[in-house]
Amino acid sequence: MSGIFKQPGAFAITPHKVSVCILLKIYAPPAQISLPFPFSSVAHHNRLGLFLLSLTKSCDDILEPKLDELIHQLRMMSQNWMSTWIIDQLMTRLSSLSSPDDLFNFFIDIRGILGGPDSGAIEDDQIILDLNSNLGIFLRRCVLAFNLLSFEGVCHLLTNIGIYCKEEFSNCPPYEAPSLDDSSSNLETYSEYENMDLENFVYEKVSEEIEARKEANERIPFHLHVPNTLLSLVDDIDVPVDSAASKQSEKVRVASPYGDPSSNMLRDDDPSGAVFLRTNWQVQGYLQEQADIIEKNGGAVSLNGFEIVLRQLRKLAPELHRVHFLSYLNSLSHDDYIAALENLHCYFDYSAGTEGLDFVPPAGSNSFGRYEVALLCLGMMHFHFGHPKLALEVLTEAVRVSQQQSNDTCLAYTLAAISNLLFENGISSTARLIGSSYSLFTSIGISLSVQQQLFVLLRGSLKRAESLKLKRLVASNHLAMAKFDLTHVQRPLLSFGPKASMKLSTCPVNVCKELRLSSHLISDFCNESSAMTIDGAFSTAWLRNLPKPTGSLLLCPENGSGSSSNVSQFCAQPTSIPGSVMQVLGSSYLLRATAWELYGSTPLARINALVHATCFADASSSSDTALAYVKLIQHLAVFKGYKEAFSALKIAEEKFLSVSKSQILLLKLQLLHDHALHRGHLKLAQKLCDELGVLASPVTGVDMNLKTEASLRHARTLLAANQFREAAAVAHSLFCMCYKYNLQVENASVLLLLAEIHKKSGNAVLGLPYALASLSFCQSFNLDLLKASATLTLAELWLSLGSSHATRALNLVHGAFPMILGHGGLELRSRAYIVEAKCYLSDTNFSVFENYEIVIDSLRQASDELQLLEFHELAAEAFYLMAMVYDKLGQLEKREEAAASFQKHILALQNNKNEDDPLVGVL
Amino acid sequence: MSSKESCRSELRIAIRQLSDRCLYTASKWEAEQLVGIEQDPAKFTPSNTRFQRGSSSIRRKYRTHEIAATPIAGVSYVATPVMEEDELVDGDFYLLAKSYFDCREYKRAAHVLRDQTGRKSVFLRCYALYLAGEKRKEEEMIELEGPLGKSDSVNRELVSLERELSMLCKNGTIDPFGLYLYGLVLKQKGSENLARTVLVESVNSYPWNWNAWTELRSLCSTIDILNTVNLNSHWMKDFFLASAYQELRMHNESLSKYEYLLGTFGNSNYIQAQIAKAQYSLREFDQVEALFEELMRSDPYRVEDMDMYSNVLYAKESFSALSYLAHRVFMTDKYRPESCCIIGNYYSLKGQHEKSVMYFRRALKLNKNYLSAWTLMGHEFVEMKNTPAAVDAYRRAVDVDPCDYRAWYGLGQAYEMMGMPFYALHYFQKSVFLQPNDSRLWIAMAQCYETEQLRMLDEAIKCYKRAAACNDREAIALYQLAKLHAELGHPEEAASYYKKDLERMEDEEREGPNMVEALLYLARYYKLQDRFEEAEVYCTRLLDYSGPERETAKSLLRGMRSSQSILPSMDVERFPP
Repeated sequence: MSGIFKQPGAFAITPHKVSVCILLKIYAPPAQISLPFPFSSVAHHNRLGLFLLSLTKSCDDILEPKLDELIHQLRMMSQNWMSTWIIDQLMTRLSSLSSPDDLFNFFIDIRGILGGPDSGAIEDDQIILDLNSNLGIFLRRCVLAFNLLSFEGVCHLLTNIGIYCKEEFSNCPPYEAPSLDDSSSNLETYSEYENMDLENFVYEKVSEEIEARKEANERIPFHLHVPNTLLSLVDDIDVPVDSAASKQSEKVRVASPYGDPSSNMLRDDDPSGAVFLRTNWQVQGYLQEQADIIEKNGGAVSLNGFEIVLRQLRKLAPELHRVHFLSYLNSLSHDDYIAALENLHCYFDYSAGTEGLDFVPPAGSNSFGRYEVALLCLGMMHFHFGHPKLALEVLTEAVRVSQQQSNDTCLAYTLAAISNLLFENGISSTARLIGSSYSLFTSIGISLSVQQQLFVLLRGSLKRAESLKLKRLVASNHLAMAKFDLTHVQRPLLSFGPKASMKLSTCPVNVCKELRLSSHLISDFCNESSAMTIDGAFSTAWLRNLPKPTGSLLLCPENGSGSSSNVSQFCAQPTSIPGSVMQVLGSSYLLRATAWELYGSTPLARINALVHATCFADASSSSDTALAYVKLIQHLAVFKGYKEAFSALKIAEEKFLSVSKSQILLLKLQLLHDHALHRGHLKLAQKLCDELGVLASPVTGVDMNLKTEASLRHARTLLAANQFREAAAVAHSLFCMCYKYNLQVENASVLLLLAEIHKKSGNAVLGLPYALASLSFCQSFNLDLLKASATLTLAELWLSLGSSHATRALNLVHGAFPMILGHGGLELRSRAYIVEAKCYLSDTNFSVFENYEIVIDSLRQASDELQLLEFHELAAEAFYLMAMVYDKLGQLEKREEAAASFQKHILALQNNKNEDDPLVGVL
Repeated sequence: MSSKESCRSELRIAIRQLSDRCLYTASKWEAEQLVGIEQDPAKFTPSNTRFQRGSSSIRRKYRTHEIAATPIAGVSYVATPVMEEDELVDGDFYLLAKSYFDCREYKRAAHVLRDQTGRKSVFLRCYALYLAGEKRKEEEMIELEGPLGKSDSVNRELVSLERELSMLCKNGTIDPFGLYLYGLVLKQKGSENLARTVLVESVNSYPWNWNAWTELRSLCSTIDILNTVNLNSHWMKDFFLASAYQELRMHNESLSKYEYLLGTFGNSNYIQAQIAKAQYSLREFDQVEALFEELMRSDPYRVEDMDMYSNVLYAKESFSALSYLAHRVFMTDKYRPESCCIIGNYYSLKGQHEKSVMYFRRALKLNKNYLSAWTLMGHEFVEMKNTPAAVDAYRRAVDVDPCDYRAWYGLGQAYEMMGMPFYALHYFQKSVFLQPNDSRLWIAMAQCYETEQLRMLDEAIKCYKRAAACNDREAIALYQLAKLHAELGHPEEAASYYKKDLERMEDEEREGPNMVEALLYLARYYKLQDRFEEAEVYCTRLLDYSGPERETAKSLLRGMRSSQSILPSMDVERFPP
């Protein structure tokens, strides 16, 4: 910025690049017809070409590989004598560079590889490097960089080549070369080098000094400037000893995509200055890759390990400001508020927002800088750390500044961020904050409710994104709209309530439409350029897969089973769909699953969750994947009982060991709580409830959903303990909260719970209005399954008013039956059966003797399913009813059987305190 | 304190020893102090008179607090420095090496001494190697500039030097100078704690090496560390403490130390400059100017610290004095960062910001870590409305020294200029944290809170209160407080602040629109409170001003008279005599 310092982008010539040039010369020797000497087949030849290409593109590290690493990779590339020959050649030519003049000659020589501008005239089978090919450009840049060097620069290069070679010699002296003459000549040049050394005045000290450096390196493994306290914190990284074997194992370890990427770059910070950065392009690619990893799975990157890499980078390239951004991301993902704040400010102070990671490059020359992006990032950071008020304040400023700077892109993103914020944190009054700044509202001049503001914001953001052709933002805005449609009725909520007309309702069609629109992204994004990351990732993957046997790599069939993660990663890359697109797509499936869950179609919900878990697990963030698993496990619990759910949970827990603990933990608590309630372990249930309450007040802001969940479960526990008054009080305050924050969907279930409480406490008349209110909420939001369950409760309430209402209740139950049987879980279904049986039994017109099979059938069905759930209370009821029926029919044997089962369940309910619950241990 | 005479003899020997070891900066400093010791009037000799400046009348004038002389714990127990005049054997080689050294041929000097074992020779060899490494480092920094900026190159001699010195240290054959060098090497290698202990050992056994003290000071970055350092008492320790306090921004403590030292080193230019520095931090510009004028008289070719003088002249807008100073330093040594800075300041005062930026840039070329040049350049960019460049410059200043509150303040200002007050708050908070007693910072923050976009008036009031509490010279805070309280509908607070503001204006004999506003508000307020006498006083004072307020005051008075004429009659009715 500001033109004080020269812009980055230059290209420096380094020993490693010299090696690559030598290899290039081997790859394409000048004036050679057909295959050059060492190569036995075209495939081998191509493989070297690919290898060189990958070397120039891969971005798995910030530092250039040392000679021994390069040799190691060369060996990996092909196992036969060919590689040995190449390595020998490389070593010989490197060590023959002993004076500045050699270097000059070398670079003149290397120019001969390149074809002329009229390369079409050359014979077909002649091997020549095209001027404009990737490798050709690389070579040309090397030559240019060398030509630009001052004499001092040439001297430095020579010294560094010497160190580069010497390290290799000292690392593995027993280097198995078939030709002994070669190695001896190497040693000669080595001593020759010492005589040529221009840098060190005291000749006899040279070797001694290098030894000393080595000693120093061994003693202090990391940078010398890292304080000891920091060193002791880095516990997860073992420092490789300098030997080829450990390097190899390290490479293997790195091959897993989630492996600690930093471990392979914690090589010693050589004080002799033989450490070189890769090209700007590669470093940026590396940073981009790390940013992606952090975004996907922040816990997988070790805070200090990565920070050390960044610090090294900062030292080597002080003008590469993006490093600050990466360190911001790193501290963000590890919840280090202060460091995140510092780094964010630092990054934007230096870069003025002109090299952001997620944004389109600046259009034209805007001298002002783009500080609004800083505001946007700061706002999102506050949001992440759970400071909604601050976040809103900052984002409001971002809106204002981007309007002033007419940065529509930023404005669209900011609006999206604000609506996201409003979604997640139910802020009860934001009228002042937004109303004062966002011109649309002030022009209307009326204060809108949060919902309406949200709606307007979403629309505005969507429109902007569409006109600016920000594909990803359009897609995620469509998702947000879908979310909004899902939980909000279409018209302004002016006269909302149970009595409002039925036209006011959410529109599932809209939700589907939005969801579908968001998926159109996949066909649209193709013209967006993200070539850099893809090239880089491809090369990185290629280099990592080097140990594999030779063969056509693109169709790697032979190792389908062995390292599946590698293969899938490797094969996934060439599809060139950017990760962010996949992520948006994945979340659309998750949202579909949620929508269907709410609307009550469990099979569809399950399918969508399954799709996400199978197709998008790699691309989407770990928390999204965890959510898909959570949904699937919940489904299992409701439909297959707890045993299966818990075994699935165990798998999920292992998979998401470090990540998004809270989600899996939440699920575990939920399942355990349900289970405890069903089995009547009230103390345990209460304990679990308390744990949930603790989760609901985390440091990172208050999640409203979690809060409602906790108090809902608290009320249910109280209800199970027959403490009606307390339960009603809790439910009531919960309702008030939901109403305040406009959590309409939750309102319906709270109302239903209130109805249940009144039903259980024997106040059927009081329960009726609650049940009806819940019903009407369900209708407005198209919550079909919840509606069925509310209908069931309503039927029970009518039934408990007396046998005269039995027919009405029966009709209600029968009305709800299709929904319940089609989509309901075990508990709901059995409850329906029992209610139906009770209706029949209490109906005076119903004769048990004639139609007893209907009743018995229902009850048997119910009792079977309840036993799966271990729901003792209801099971006992079912058996009790069964016994009564059999008693009436006079079938004594069957009556005894039912009675025995009844007794079993009742005893289990009463004795549960003595029993050891195997699942308690899970906690 | 030990007598002046003993100080003098100590210094004389020390200077010789230091220059024997080519520690020229230290010996220069010692010599300055030696000459700075006030002569006894009895021994007045004409040759000394020129160092006896006008009997420091100015200093006496400004000597605010007559220092309660810091009690020195015991006499300095390190006696006069006696070093064995050793190594007559290898004296010849030593002489050759020293001549090479003086010609700045460091590697040659080291080579000549390669087999010498005498302490002095060993030290000189190591020191020459160290300096050779430093020189090479500087060169490499330029040569190895990568595409993404300059990377820090390292002194390549450090490793071998550390090995050798630590061995000497273990053998116990190291002298205080060797310890100093060892500490220097350790500090550069990043092992600060060890470096600190080594340096402490060095200064405890040989306190006259000012270089060692400076290194030690840079390692005492907090007051806690400073307090844990265990130093023997010696008058050099007072110099050290004074400068350490200054670094730690404990200006009053450091000032009193210097005042105490003046008792012995009455004519020391160094002390005078340091006092000026402290006064500058306390914003006593008049005193600073006087001190520097005196310094200029006695030491006309001085460039050190003169940039601060130029800052003062800049603040006082004395064009000609600044131009004179700029001319002088330019003639003395134009390639000193200080000189460039002074010229930059001059152009800035003239309003030629492009030229000024050019000179600040030159200063930064000469010294990349020259803090004030970064900050001043930031100010220039702000003037030129090039905010991104300003932000960049300030940020670099902050990276050089994270405790530089001016740069943080500048960052805040730049962002505020760009219409990002909320973002700016972060920076103002930083600067206020570092300098909590500066009313300007508090006022800036308050104004930020007060902006149209934020309107966080409660916070603004809190800031103004802090500003009013810490000696607000421009008297903005009281007035703003009154206004804000009035706006928020707290008439009592508003009235009390207006009153305070009024009193202050009366004290300082200032007039202006604020005065009128305060009078008017108070008149109305007291009228509403039915305290007519006070109201009348304010109204009559308002009558002295022309303008619409005068008419308002008249009508207020009229209203009061009419209601007063009713009131007494009611009183009469209620309480018949």
